[in-house]
Amino acid sequence: MEYSSLDHLMIIILGFFVAFAPRYLPLLFFSKRQIPDWFNDWMKYVPISLFTALVVKGIFISSKYTLVTNGNLALIIGGLVVILIAYWTRSMAMSVIVGLVTVMILTMII
Amino acid sequence: MKRVKTEARWKETFKVAWPLCLSYTPIGLACGILLHAAGFNTLLTGLVSLVIFSGGAQFLIAQMLTVNAPILTIVLMLFFLELRYALLGSSLSKYLQGESHTSIFTFALSLNDENYAVNYLKFATDKNWTPNDARQVEHWSLLFWSVSNIIGSLIGSVLSINLTVVDFALTALFIYMIVMQVKSRLSLLICIFSGVLAAVCLIVTKSTLGLVASTLIASFTGFLTEELLVKKRPASALLQDIGSRKGGPIIEEIDKKESNIL
Repeated sequence: MEYSSLDHLMIIILGFFVAFAPRYLPLLFFSKRQIPDWFNDWMKYVPISLFTALVVKGIFISSKYTLVTNGNLALIIGGLVVILIAYWTRSMAMSVIVGLVTVMILTMII
Repeated sequence: MKRVKTEARWKETFKVAWPLCLSYTPIGLACGILLHAAGFNTLLTGLVSLVIFSGGAQFLIAQMLTVNAPILTIVLMLFFLELRYALLGSSLSKYLQGESHTSIFTFALSLNDENYAVNYLKFATDKNWTPNDARQVEHWSLLFWSVSNIIGSLIGSVLSINLTVVDFALTALFIYMIVMQVKSRLSLLICIFSGVLAAVCLIVTKSTLGLVASTLIASFTGFLTEELLVKKRPASALLQDIGSRKGGPIIEEIDKKESNIL
């Protein structure tokens, strides 16, 4: 299948709606109402759960949704390095840059 | 007088936003390069960065285009991927109570994972942080994201870079966010549980729907466990903090000063 620029535009327009609705509607709904305490307590765990899921997907899951057990050693070591740097420095820039350099060097060696 | 104050404010918000902007730049460049490789022209790459403004979604579009997926499938995948914003939006909404419709509308327009995390921490730790400041942080990140996407698209044909390495920038960013947010032993446990669960869900569903499912299950498990522990065993070791880390990127300077004194 060949896509035209019009197809790309269609993806962008439809994509905008499906991306915007989940950002807007809950925000609108809950900013006018009292949010129940249990909901806030629940939401507290959402970022950790989501980010962990994204990290696992990035390191251990292939684009065909199978478990990657081979060839991701550089990413695993890089991930551990980022954890240590983030823990000690608490600096976002340092964590990302050192992590990237680590992975860059490791992919060249391994 | 007023002008001086506003200027100070955008400098203030930029101070908060710049690490985020900096980490967006390589990812934005990579995203622009990938979109270019998938056939997107530079104008549309700029447009998609402005109106969708989601690294995950744009990487997904690039990936789906290279495997020749039908447009409706791509949009459906985008929907599932972006569904997580419902949770992010709801958790920020308590800080936007009483805001006007327009204000909430524009806030939602440029909300995404990373500026959410920055703003959430800022709202939670800084009493003077207003929705307006938060929106400015969003706009800084949107500006850097769109410009780096466009530049990425322009250099796409010239430069070839190792995409495994660039992809890792996104992962590193998320790892950093996790380290900043894991505070109690229970949250560390939930983090590990969520990781295993995500792998299982992704492999079972064979789609990014697995991310939605595992996020919902893991966060709800964390919430229920905490409720239960607080009620039945308030002295439980699980509820204790790990170390003395109290904040995120925002109160970094204060933390550093503290550690210097110590």
